[in-house]
Amino acid sequence: MDLLDDRKRQVVTAGETRAVVCDRPSVAGSVTQRACSFCGSRVVLYPIADALHLVHGPVGCAAYTWDIRGAQSSGPQLHRLSFNTDIREEEVIFGGEKKLARALRELVAIHKPKGAFVYATCLTGVIGDDVEAVCRMATAELGIPVIPVQSEGFKGTKKDGYSAACRALDQLIGTGPTEGIGPHSVNILGDFNIAGEIWVIKGYLERMGVEVVATMTGDGRVDTIRRAHGAKLNIVQCAGSMTSVAKLMKEKYGVPYVQVSFFGLEDCADALYQIAKHFGDPEMLRRTKEIVKAETEAVLPELARIRKDLEGKKAALYVGGAFKAFSLVKALRQIGMQVAMAGTQTGGPADYEHLKELCDADTILADDSNPLEMASWLALRDVDLFIGGVKERPVAFKLGIGFCDHNHERKIGLAGFEGCAAFAREVHATVTSPVWSLVPRRAGKGSA
Amino acid sequence: MRKIAIYGKGGIGKSTTTQNTVAGLAEWGKKVMVVGCDPKADSTRLLLGGLAQKTVLDTLRDEGEDVELDEILKPGYAKTKCVESGGPEPGVGCAGRGIITSINMLEQLGAYTPDLDYTFYDVLGDVVCGGFAMPIRDGKAEEIYIVVSGEMMAMYAANNICKGIVKFAQSGKVRLGGLICNSRKCDNEKELIEALAEKLGTQMIHFVPRDNVVQHAELNRKTVIEYAPEAAQADEYRTLARKIDANKMFVIPTPLTMEDLEDLLVKYGLAA
Repeated sequence: MDLLDDRKRQVVTAGETRAVVCDRPSVAGSVTQRACSFCGSRVVLYPIADALHLVHGPVGCAAYTWDIRGAQSSGPQLHRLSFNTDIREEEVIFGGEKKLARALRELVAIHKPKGAFVYATCLTGVIGDDVEAVCRMATAELGIPVIPVQSEGFKGTKKDGYSAACRALDQLIGTGPTEGIGPHSVNILGDFNIAGEIWVIKGYLERMGVEVVATMTGDGRVDTIRRAHGAKLNIVQCAGSMTSVAKLMKEKYGVPYVQVSFFGLEDCADALYQIAKHFGDPEMLRRTKEIVKAETEAVLPELARIRKDLEGKKAALYVGGAFKAFSLVKALRQIGMQVAMAGTQTGGPADYEHLKELCDADTILADDSNPLEMASWLALRDVDLFIGGVKERPVAFKLGIGFCDHNHERKIGLAGFEGCAAFAREVHATVTSPVWSLVPRRAGKGSA
Repeated sequence: MRKIAIYGKGGIGKSTTTQNTVAGLAEWGKKVMVVGCDPKADSTRLLLGGLAQKTVLDTLRDEGEDVELDEILKPGYAKTKCVESGGPEPGVGCAGRGIITSINMLEQLGAYTPDLDYTFYDVLGDVVCGGFAMPIRDGKAEEIYIVVSGEMMAMYAANNICKGIVKFAQSGKVRLGGLICNSRKCDNEKELIEALAEKLGTQMIHFVPRDNVVQHAELNRKTVIEYAPEAAQADEYRTLARKIDANKMFVIPTPLTMEDLEDLLVKYGLAA
């Protein structure tokens, strides 16, 4: 594979000693799989269901990030609407602040949200609209927190957008009452309730006797986030997007955090044990063991059946954060599959070192990537499955390779023990589909 | 048609010099349009006898895309045509984008008629961003005059503007026509500006002396040529108008380093 010169240091095979170079802006011209920082902030905050999400910029910025994840809400659905100030030439010249203030007044009157997020875009950043001042004024006038999200698209990578979102959350946290929060209480950070996954996790925690204060941001609510600082532990799932909120809360409010993953049997069990051990309650630990045992036993027979069909098959994966990559590698191994390639959009140096340990010596590891690179690796390793998100899907389908969505848009919950079974079922159905014996790269080779 | 842009440090007298020069050309029978490219919209005040002008951008904002040319093109002294781009209040929006929108609008509306002998663009202070360079992009103004005085900051600004001209000259037809010295009665001012012009590879096209009649005319919302046609200062502007009309010296300037500029000042200004 001919890599662009500037990309070469970001790709290694797991057995190599050299480190993956990461945490850098995408190379111009390489058609990165990453999104802009505005989009990064949108995906993080979007699931807060009773907040108004107002994009201050041209209509395209709002349209392309409208309903961007399948983030479920158990109540309000306000987050699924995309609001926009529709900045045009006239506002570019004369400034968009007045239009923003007008939009906030109008929208708050109509929808009566618990809070509002105002996203700065490239355009309003360039013309210098003082979004912060307008938000301050609106907070005073409208009686709800109106939070600026300084997420101008040109400011950096998607990861910088995550930081902007975290700074916005930081403005909310600590502004609500903490009365009545018990000693065994947690916030769930970095789960976005795709296909209702946070409800599955909450179910385990409730059975363990753990109280969930706030969920950030899946099925999130403004008022619970405001009192999140009263929880005794933060559980961080999506490391890329939410670790900085966890760190901030540790500094400001002394709330410790654990990094976990609820994808895959092993990681899911480990996550629950970590939480139980943190609280040090023998009864809770006992209950946790029971839950893990019962849930594991419920899915193991099916996983074993599936494993027979999938043994020796090869998968490639490209995901946003590294924690999901770790879990997927383990989950795939559990059903007998090897990982030929693993890439992430936002992994850090330590993440890639860990990924090296998890993977086989010849697994290709890539930080950032583009369709050409990925297509060449998929073909080179002749994989049976590609796991990714909406931007990876066409790469797989063009090559005639099975694809599983493990990102924003999927409709099947893959977290928790039952999620493992669902994941295995989906992978099985995809990989063993007879259609692959008909695609050009496999036709006549009888290998499906 | 000759298309001329006037640049120079803020407060140097660009608008006064431009309008008096335009009055000189118009009095002489030339057909001239003045396009003010300053959000303050005060570039045509002396030709119109006050700030009677509704700006292009205000009109665009109030009436949408259906703007009529005669709403924004007002007749001024001696059949001059006066336009103000306008722009945002100080501290908001993007005035540079306003200039771009406004000039595009004028082109669409057919303001640049073939009977015009001259179009003058009077542009705000320094070329602070891309929008303020719009008047010297390819196909717009092809001749630039910089209003300057013997004061250090005015010369520094003139030199900076020359850097902008170099950039656009390399990709288009814009050239520097000369420096107009609007005297502040500094020491050796004429020699200093002539020396600066030489270093820049251009000429000091005219030295406009300082005269209080300019102030009186301004207070009466008139150019000197209209307010005091017999005054010596009126003849200075007439001379400048004729020199510009006859000018054949159009160059790509050679901007100075900061050190060269300071040396020049020491040599002519302080050492006098």
